[in-house]
Amino acid sequence: MLFFLPIDFVDQMLLKFFSADTVNHVVWPFIQVVLVISLVTGWVAAANYLERKVSAFMQARLGPMRVGPWGILQPIADGIKLLTKEDFIPDKADRWIFFIAPYIAVAAAFIVFVVVPFGPDWAVIADLNIGLLFVLAVSSVGVLALILAGWSSNSKYSLLGALRSSAQMISYEVAMGLSLIGALMFARTLSLSSIVNAQSGDSIWFLLYQPLGFLIFLVSGIAENNRAPFDLPEAESELVAGFHTEYSGFRWSLFFMAEYAAMVVVSAVAVTVYLGGWYFPFVYRLTEAKGYHNLYVIVSLLVFLVKLSGILYLYFWLRWTLPRFRYDQLMDIGWKWLIPASLINVGTSAISIFVVQALDGWRGMKTIESLSGGLNLTGTGKGVMIVLGLAGLGVTGLLLGRINWRSRDFNLKSQRRNIRLVNIPQGKPAVPAVASEG
Amino acid sequence: MPLVKVPKPKFIEKVQRFFMVDLLRGLRLTLKYNIGALTGSDPVAGKGIYTEQYPKVRPDVAPRFHGAPRLNMDPETHDTLCIACNLCAIACPEDCIDVIPLDIEIMVAGKPRKKKVLDEFIFDTSRCMFCALCQEACPTYCLELTQDFELATYSRAGFVWNREMLEQGRETVKYTR
Amino acid sequence: MHQVEIATTQETLLDTPEMVLNMGPQHPSTHGVLRIILKLDGETVIDLDCDVGYLHRGMEKIAENRMYTMIAPYWDRLDYIAAVSNGLVWVETVEQMMGLVVPPRAHYLRTILTELNRIASHLLWLATHALDIGAVTVLLWAFREREEILKIFERQFGARLTCHAWRVGGMPNDAYDDFEADVRRFVSNFPKRLDEYETVLSENRIWLSRTVGIGVISGEDAVAIGLSGPALRGSGVAWDVRKSRPYAAYADMDFDIPLGENGDTYDRYLVRLEEMRQSRRIIDQAMDKLPDGPVNAKLPKIVKPPVGDYYHSIEGPKGEIGCYLVSDGSAQPWRVRVRPPSFINLQALKQMCVGHLVADVVAIIGTLDIVLGEIDR
Repeated sequence: MLFFLPIDFVDQMLLKFFSADTVNHVVWPFIQVVLVISLVTGWVAAANYLERKVSAFMQARLGPMRVGPWGILQPIADGIKLLTKEDFIPDKADRWIFFIAPYIAVAAAFIVFVVVPFGPDWAVIADLNIGLLFVLAVSSVGVLALILAGWSSNSKYSLLGALRSSAQMISYEVAMGLSLIGALMFARTLSLSSIVNAQSGDSIWFLLYQPLGFLIFLVSGIAENNRAPFDLPEAESELVAGFHTEYSGFRWSLFFMAEYAAMVVVSAVAVTVYLGGWYFPFVYRLTEAKGYHNLYVIVSLLVFLVKLSGILYLYFWLRWTLPRFRYDQLMDIGWKWLIPASLINVGTSAISIFVVQALDGWRGMKTIESLSGGLNLTGTGKGVMIVLGLAGLGVTGLLLGRINWRSRDFNLKSQRRNIRLVNIPQGKPAVPAVASEG
Repeated sequence: MPLVKVPKPKFIEKVQRFFMVDLLRGLRLTLKYNIGALTGSDPVAGKGIYTEQYPKVRPDVAPRFHGAPRLNMDPETHDTLCIACNLCAIACPEDCIDVIPLDIEIMVAGKPRKKKVLDEFIFDTSRCMFCALCQEACPTYCLELTQDFELATYSRAGFVWNREMLEQGRETVKYTR
Repeated sequence: MHQVEIATTQETLLDTPEMVLNMGPQHPSTHGVLRIILKLDGETVIDLDCDVGYLHRGMEKIAENRMYTMIAPYWDRLDYIAAVSNGLVWVETVEQMMGLVVPPRAHYLRTILTELNRIASHLLWLATHALDIGAVTVLLWAFREREEILKIFERQFGARLTCHAWRVGGMPNDAYDDFEADVRRFVSNFPKRLDEYETVLSENRIWLSRTVGIGVISGEDAVAIGLSGPALRGSGVAWDVRKSRPYAAYADMDFDIPLGENGDTYDRYLVRLEEMRQSRRIIDQAMDKLPDGPVNAKLPKIVKPPVGDYYHSIEGPKGEIGCYLVSDGSAQPWRVRVRPPSFINLQALKQMCVGHLVADVVAIIGTLDIVLGEIDR
């Protein structure tokens, strides 16, 4: 493969200057980091453009059209505009915290990409064995940025936004972490690459085993990113712009980038844990042919990006369709629905794994292929597991519905009484002579 | 949250609620719009996108539109049709019209006669509310509000139009892209 | 305007003092330049005060120095969303005071065009109300239909928003050539569009939880405050000027009045949606019955109503908009007084908001459907 020769060639070149250790642990990671940062920044710009286009199409309009063909250079134009705008700092703002907050937001969003497996082999920067924990830990630092930004702005709107975001993120972080446990029971590892490998080795997506977990993760992920319908911290119509009301220019654009990068992070984790990451059936065959290894990595990378775009489209789609929740309703959903559901999910996952193992050998049924690396199931085992996953979803829904059915917001549709139409008799016309004429 | 009396829901309602049918319906509609915009069809009227790309494509302004004022001229002689009767200035609620007449002597059938002709016509478009009362008051169809709607200028003084501007019209920038 | 008291002393250390939040005049969802001073406990509203007047133009005083025919365009600037309805109040007041007989064709056209304007106004209300609650897409969809109506207005009156639609004694122009075709096309497409909005909002559980039980006002309270229009009918009071004292050609029209039951935001939402359907019904009937003939009455050279006073009101989209006119027999009115529906509806804001959250204040402002041009006059 001539096209991928440069990678090996660069490797050889680097080995001439540095020792093998340096090349493997310093130089290549550095190149990877630069690549990933530029990739993610580009992706943020693209996501921004695509969101504007998608929202425009949903609203029967065109979206950006003026800069470049079909407005494709609009993110660049926006970036230049934001960089050249006045960087306004409110009087009596806490200047240092005000300066630092956007950087914390961006750093917290970008550091997570270190462990995200964009593809196999060299397409992941660092395969930490506590990868998922790292993701959760670092992404929750992002809350700090919002609180600091809201606090330091010396504005009541910002403060309210910051308070909302802190409460929201704390409550949804719990559900998010708990929802992942179910998937981890199948993967039996915290390393994100190994989670993908567990799925590819089994040729299945954990989404099928864990529909409930995926749902909880997605909802709490959207809430964690402050995206509509959970965009309360920046609820435009109530709090003007929430925590970044007072920010402008470059600092505001950092918050913007952080928001989109965090969105990509959550989508990437969702893809990795539930949608099989870069795994796609039959692509693995490429490795069997000699010299096609790099192509295999690239194709896997593309598969990952396609799945990522799917989740991002879901983000846009929800945002431009649904109205915004109110603060107390948001808390309701977090504490009354998602956290209990994720706890139940942990239980049902454990039970279903137990059941599948117990079924192995019962009346000659063979559910487990091997237990060496994670849980390898046979076709029957997979079927049983999928059925149990769906049953868990149903049971959880019914249980929580039963518990919550008397709360105020539960079933408003049935409380709704229709308006009635009356045809009251006509009164005396204002101008009788004219009205009778017509 | 206060507990309220809830009527017992029917089974089908329960199922719909469980599968979030209410939310999915809305999502289906927006998806339909998204696809409709790309394929150029709309669920109702058959047109996916309603945007007019304004500076590039100029809108069709209705013939009755009340836009920039204009003083019409006789198409053959190129004399102004205005007879300086001042009716437009009287009809204007905002007092934004100033008609400055000039008394001249002309010879009618060999006799000198005084006649009022238009000297200067000042129209303050910044105060105008385009109610078209002046247009209706004009007995000679001279003052007319045209279809031109781009009245922005760089200074307040630019809003005050004199007779020359009213007769010739103002040059507007035409965008090609 | 009374000053909101701010807690200045703290009795104990672990105290939760109230916060005074100044909402507006520059705020995305106060629908203009309304300033609301909220007293908050956490996010719960415990008191609020409205500060109006940022858009005051002294319209009533201006009217005293203008001739009768010149005042009509100023009425457009009151409720600029519903300029056609507003203009109708003024010209009908003057006509009825003078005893002018307006030809039936003018009455029918007035009915059709004010109903179109009611739909346009309700669409703008729906757009902004949905936007306030966070459903952005409905905004653009509603504007698309409103655009159709504004195009009809542009072709008919020569302006889109502040149309200066009517003249004393009739209309400036007869209907334009394609008027019937345009209106019919709009009327045939519109119900499907309404169904689309309902698909996104009416059944949506988030929309329901944001609107059901928010901003409740009982029928008695609504009458006591003097609410009118959909805000009153949402509370279940059957009052509609079109029915109780028909003007223009409404006496010949057959239509229903939608009434809510609970008087909450959701009921008002449903009432307004249903009103759009009823408006469509009225337009359909009026188009069928549209008579031929002139559109202008014979007018004296200078419009001079006789000495005396007169009150006339119509059912505007926001509520009952009225005009009290005192004439001293000269060419200029002695006094003009507007009965502004938005201003009176705004009085209910405090009663509706106290006890709710900040997010609900926004929803309640939206549901009252206020226009600041009319509140401040």
